Amino acid sequence: MKHLISLQYFKIFLVSCLGFFCLSATTHASEVTISHYFSDEFGKENMGKVFDRFEAVTGFQMKESPVGHEDFKTDILVRGASDSLPDVFSYWAGARVQFVVDSGDLSPIDDMWADSGLDDVVAKAVADSATLYNGHRYLIPMQYHYSGMFYNKKVMADAGVTDMPTDWEGFMALCEKLKGMGIAPIALGSKFRWPAQFWFDYLILNTAGPEVRAAVMDGSAAYDSDEVMAAVGIWMDMVNNGYFVANANADTWTDASDKVANGEAAMTLMGTWITGYWNGNGLTPGEDYDFFPFPTINPDAPVSVVGPIDGLVISANVQNKEGAEAFLSFFVSDVDNQIEWTNAVGAVSANVNVDPSVYNDLIQRVITTVDGASNFAFNYDLATPPPVAEVGLSMFQELMENPDDYGAILSRAQDSAQSAFSE
Amino acid sequence: MEKSNWVWRVVFLAAPVAVFSLLVLWPLCSSFFYSFTNWNGFNPNYKFVGFDNYAKIITDRLFLNAIINTFIWMVSAILLPTLLGFGFALLIDSNVPGGKIFKSIFYLPICLSAVVVGQIWTWIYQPDWGLLNTLINFFLNESMNFAWLAKPDTSLGSVIVAWSWQQTGLSMVIYLAGLTSIPEELLEVCEIEGTSTWQKIRMVLVPLLTPATVVVIALSVINSLKGFDILYIMTGGGPFHSSDTLAMHMYNESFKKYLMGYGSAISVVLFLLALVIIRIYFRELKRIDEIYG
Repeated sequence: MKHLISLQYFKIFLVSCLGFFCLSATTHASEVTISHYFSDEFGKENMGKVFDRFEAVTGFQMKESPVGHEDFKTDILVRGASDSLPDVFSYWAGARVQFVVDSGDLSPIDDMWADSGLDDVVAKAVADSATLYNGHRYLIPMQYHYSGMFYNKKVMADAGVTDMPTDWEGFMALCEKLKGMGIAPIALGSKFRWPAQFWFDYLILNTAGPEVRAAVMDGSAAYDSDEVMAAVGIWMDMVNNGYFVANANADTWTDASDKVANGEAAMTLMGTWITGYWNGNGLTPGEDYDFFPFPTINPDAPVSVVGPIDGLVISANVQNKEGAEAFLSFFVSDVDNQIEWTNAVGAVSANVNVDPSVYNDLIQRVITTVDGASNFAFNYDLATPPPVAEVGLSMFQELMENPDDYGAILSRAQDSAQSAFSE
Repeated sequence: MEKSNWVWRVVFLAAPVAVFSLLVLWPLCSSFFYSFTNWNGFNPNYKFVGFDNYAKIITDRLFLNAIINTFIWMVSAILLPTLLGFGFALLIDSNVPGGKIFKSIFYLPICLSAVVVGQIWTWIYQPDWGLLNTLINFFLNESMNFAWLAKPDTSLGSVIVAWSWQQTGLSMVIYLAGLTSIPEELLEVCEIEGTSTWQKIRMVLVPLLTPATVVVIALSVINSLKGFDILYIMTGGGPFHSSDTLAMHMYNESFKKYLMGYGSAISVVLFLLALVIIRIYFRELKRIDEIYG
């Protein structure tokens, strides 16, 4: 009898589980699913504010699944492989979006782009470089970042430096001076590899120019070509001269940022998201820290700036297309939303209707720097296909560890890159 | 009533069979299938490439590097916890003061997940303020900031130490259980005959603890084959592939380079390797079982 009662309970339990599963699998018509990599407390809080504003205006409900920045790259692949991509997800404009577009996993947004009049909203340079893939619009820019030399103002003042260098000779003299004072001139946190890429990018752009750099990114120029060897040689000389902190491969980008903030190091080549991090830690832009553009090496090379553009895309298996398109349109078009979002994350809006005066003085100078450049380049791991980017990212770590072997390292990287391009 | 019971038996059996098929058999078959394709993980329009992925394995220097590291990892991950566990078990069994407390302390790490262990040891190895460098600096009066996990020569070894720290407690407890089953009279005879400690260990304890050793090695082999999480947390296979094992290499090729077909081929090789090791293990287990009953 007791056995029978237990069996009855088990049946009820099974049916309940089935019912719960069916209920939880049901998606509401007004719900828009989204996955993004703004998963830390700060990012989630600000993303939540965006959702609140959007829901209040449109009545759609956002259902988010945030994933850590590094894990996101794998997570989105797994979801793509199992046809379970969310309606909307954040992604990095450039080669990564191109890769997903070529795989047929994204919905084009040409109609929404035209209906929302985004030609008059998104800055043309950004629209042309970041949103068009295979002749169609696929992405709206959430914001763009710029990578520059961010420095500790007090450290520089203590070193008697008031004017930041604009050319390479001045920059080398500054590094030598700081080193002589016992301060590590440059912090770099390449534990997760990508922070080192900005050195590779800027050195090639500033010595060989954007065309050679683009050729390296698409595989038509070699990693062990004379131009790349020369650019990397400059970098390795700096490593050998002791201008970088010790154990760069053991630090994350936040470790490197902390070293600059607390005066252990003087400066770091990093994106504008560092301002969001430092501001969140109580530092004041313009007072505690500032930035200067990467110094000129070859005056004949066009002025280039480097940075990523974070975007939002709609998956090909979107369940709520209307809601997804409404969210993308709102995110980039709504001026108040753009001001609040970009100010919070320390970035710049690609919306031409956002008045630059809403930003602090430092970000305004970033905008001036970007506007004055003749070339905006995506950073390395967004400019070359993902399989090749993996080769280069590991190469950067190896270069930092074995600067004297850079010729052999570049040759090996070329072999691996060639193989990856042929996949 | 009988029929109803039969139906429920099938229902109960169907659930684990379905779960096993879904989570083990199906992925296993999928891996075999995709290892013959150039699938990138996203694009459904993949092509069959025959044995190209397997041919690539032969020329892939990173695969060879991963094979060597896997060998080092497995040998170390089996030997270190086994030897240390045996040593600690002998010490605690010899009624050293505070033996029971040490037994609990040594066993504690096995209760932690590999992710937690990995994070703890990442902090211990931190070059600027980590415990290891701090202790070295304190005792040797030096200013050392060696980056244990960021140097290619020490990254894998550092993870092996962390792994052994976690696994030693399990081996120790199994050996302690084995030691309780050794007849007191035998040990008393050793005392009377005047055997040295080393002779007692070599001639009496080691042979009589063979069943415990079989269990310890079995668990070590299984756990070391699964040892991906701690490597992922502590080094991610880096710096520049110096701590890549086969599992790590497979993950990087599949999920970072988006070469799912090639990653599947590596996983098939890993599967076959595990199969060979398990086959050898079962053969030895049978032989030992015949000897010790």
